[in-house]
Amino acid sequence: MLVALITGLATGALYACAALVYNVMFSTSKVLSVTTGHISMLGGVFGAWFISALGWPVPVALIGSLVIGAAFGLLTDFIAIRRVLARSDEHLWLLSTLALATMVQQAAGLWWGTEPKPFPRIIPQDFSVGLADQKYWLPVVVAILMAVALEMFYRRTLYGKLFVAMSEDAFAARARGIPTERIRALSYVIAGAMGGLAGFAAGQLTFAYFALGLTLTLNGFIALAVGGLGSNLGALVGGAALGILSSVATFYVGGEYHQTISVGLLMLVLLLKPAGLFGAQTVRPV
Amino acid sequence: MTPASRKIALALTVLALVTLPWWSGDLYKLHLAALIGAYWVLIGGLNLVVGYSGQLSIGHVGLLAIGAYCFTILAGPHGVHPALAIAAAGGLCGLCGLLLGLPSLRLPGFYFAMATLAFALIVTEITLAQGDLTGGGIGLAVPSLPAPFDTPQGSYWLILAIAALVTWLTWNIARYTWGRGLIAIRDSVVTAQAVGVPVFRAKLTVFVASGVTAGVAGALFAVLQSYITPDTFIFELGLFFFVCIIIGGRGHILGPLLGTVVLTALPELVAPLAKLGTFFYGLLLLVVVLLVPEGIGRVFEVIVEHFRPRKPESHVVSPDLDRLARAIASSPSDPR
Repeated sequence: MLVALITGLATGALYACAALVYNVMFSTSKVLSVTTGHISMLGGVFGAWFISALGWPVPVALIGSLVIGAAFGLLTDFIAIRRVLARSDEHLWLLSTLALATMVQQAAGLWWGTEPKPFPRIIPQDFSVGLADQKYWLPVVVAILMAVALEMFYRRTLYGKLFVAMSEDAFAARARGIPTERIRALSYVIAGAMGGLAGFAAGQLTFAYFALGLTLTLNGFIALAVGGLGSNLGALVGGAALGILSSVATFYVGGEYHQTISVGLLMLVLLLKPAGLFGAQTVRPV
Repeated sequence: MTPASRKIALALTVLALVTLPWWSGDLYKLHLAALIGAYWVLIGGLNLVVGYSGQLSIGHVGLLAIGAYCFTILAGPHGVHPALAIAAAGGLCGLCGLLLGLPSLRLPGFYFAMATLAFALIVTEITLAQGDLTGGGIGLAVPSLPAPFDTPQGSYWLILAIAALVTWLTWNIARYTWGRGLIAIRDSVVTAQAVGVPVFRAKLTVFVASGVTAGVAGALFAVLQSYITPDTFIFELGLFFFVCIIIGGRGHILGPLLGTVVLTALPELVAPLAKLGTFFYGLLLLVVVLLVPEGIGRVFEVIVEHFRPRKPESHVVSPDLDRLARAIASSPSDPR
């Protein structure tokens, strides 16, 4: 039972990271990108490749993963978001990010192989420590660190305040002289680096696996929708709740219905509280 | 194109399709044509959901899987007549569409897409978990159809007939009030509501209809595959259906049909594309979304209009003075 709880918390922390990445992208562009999970997938796959195949030391590989994530974030903005937002059709960004996500997943599958490969140790630690193993606590630490850093960024720095301004009203922000295009690109770079970090930290839990992206996109979104769109605290709570619930349910029912249970949670929350636990109420546009 | 030449073109196409078994050459091409037909039965219904009402369902492969398994289980171990089993597959998938659509069609775009994605994953999970019923990962052998349809030619004609029926049905829905209402929902929900389109009911109805066609398509698809496992119904297949419609053009019928034909046949005929598979679909989707969001069909329209510009119709708006005078004269309350 304790094993189920701790595994759930670790997986939930990874979902929370994905939800935070969604939040950062959403704040400046009002886009929920399908590529969110794929950023973390790239972070994990490239981290494993840097360490195992190229023999880079861990800190360098970590920086490499961050750069890969940030570059992919920027690429998402550049290819899939920028042109589409200019057209103002609300469905098109879903299609363009879906197309990009598919391409990245297939390219990773062709290059890296379709088998999950083990992720090397990040911190030297004996394998016999059981539940104190780094693969359980690393994602949790990273998720909490990222949420705290994000809150500090929003509250204490000028750029953070620009993000908040854009999420409140992008047109008004533009009218006040904020370079909205550049701020959006910056937010995608930050989100990409966060996703890369999450994928790197959770690599030992998930393995370096090309199909991780789609599951993470879905589960991160469920965590986000449960916690409430736009809320960082909600992302943490939603991720932890989703991870623990599905892992405990797996413990009692069996692993076959893992996905069914997490979607059940999503539907329940959306029916009872459509804005999520900590989300802001949306006004119906007329 | 004049109505007469349009009729001739239609008749020639039908003739070519019906006689395909005699001139296609080998059985593999015939199988490919039958596969395109089975896909089109699903995509034709999905087109009403994605192309007309703008609900981005990326998880229809789940309904296809339910239809395929329903047909296989009923017609195989339970010995139900295949025709009845196909009807049952359609009915069951219509019901599943209703159950899926009731909560999820109320959600906004991205939420709906994620709900259908989750549905597809859940179906895979359940087919793997319920090993007693579905054979689990090992899969099931699909029973063949009865006498006139058990040959490749016979199953081709059956699929062709059903595909033609689906095309005719969707065309009828699309060109009357219903289709206009769906397009209104796609372009602006608020406006559609304001002019009296029953938004939720219209969306739910076409979603259930697309469920029925997906179930029938699943049964036909299973017959063509002759052996089904959960791996047959990977998520990428659902993406493929979706890409066919978007590439063909939203709000058309011919465009998605061409998209289905080209996207199914191209990887089979051009070998290097088959290796790239889904990557190629993703690339195509990205290019179409970025360059011609209206779909490839729009490109043809632009080319045609370039060579034969449409004459702008002029509507003269002038007051009908006689009628106005009569109306004033016959008005009972004369304000003085």
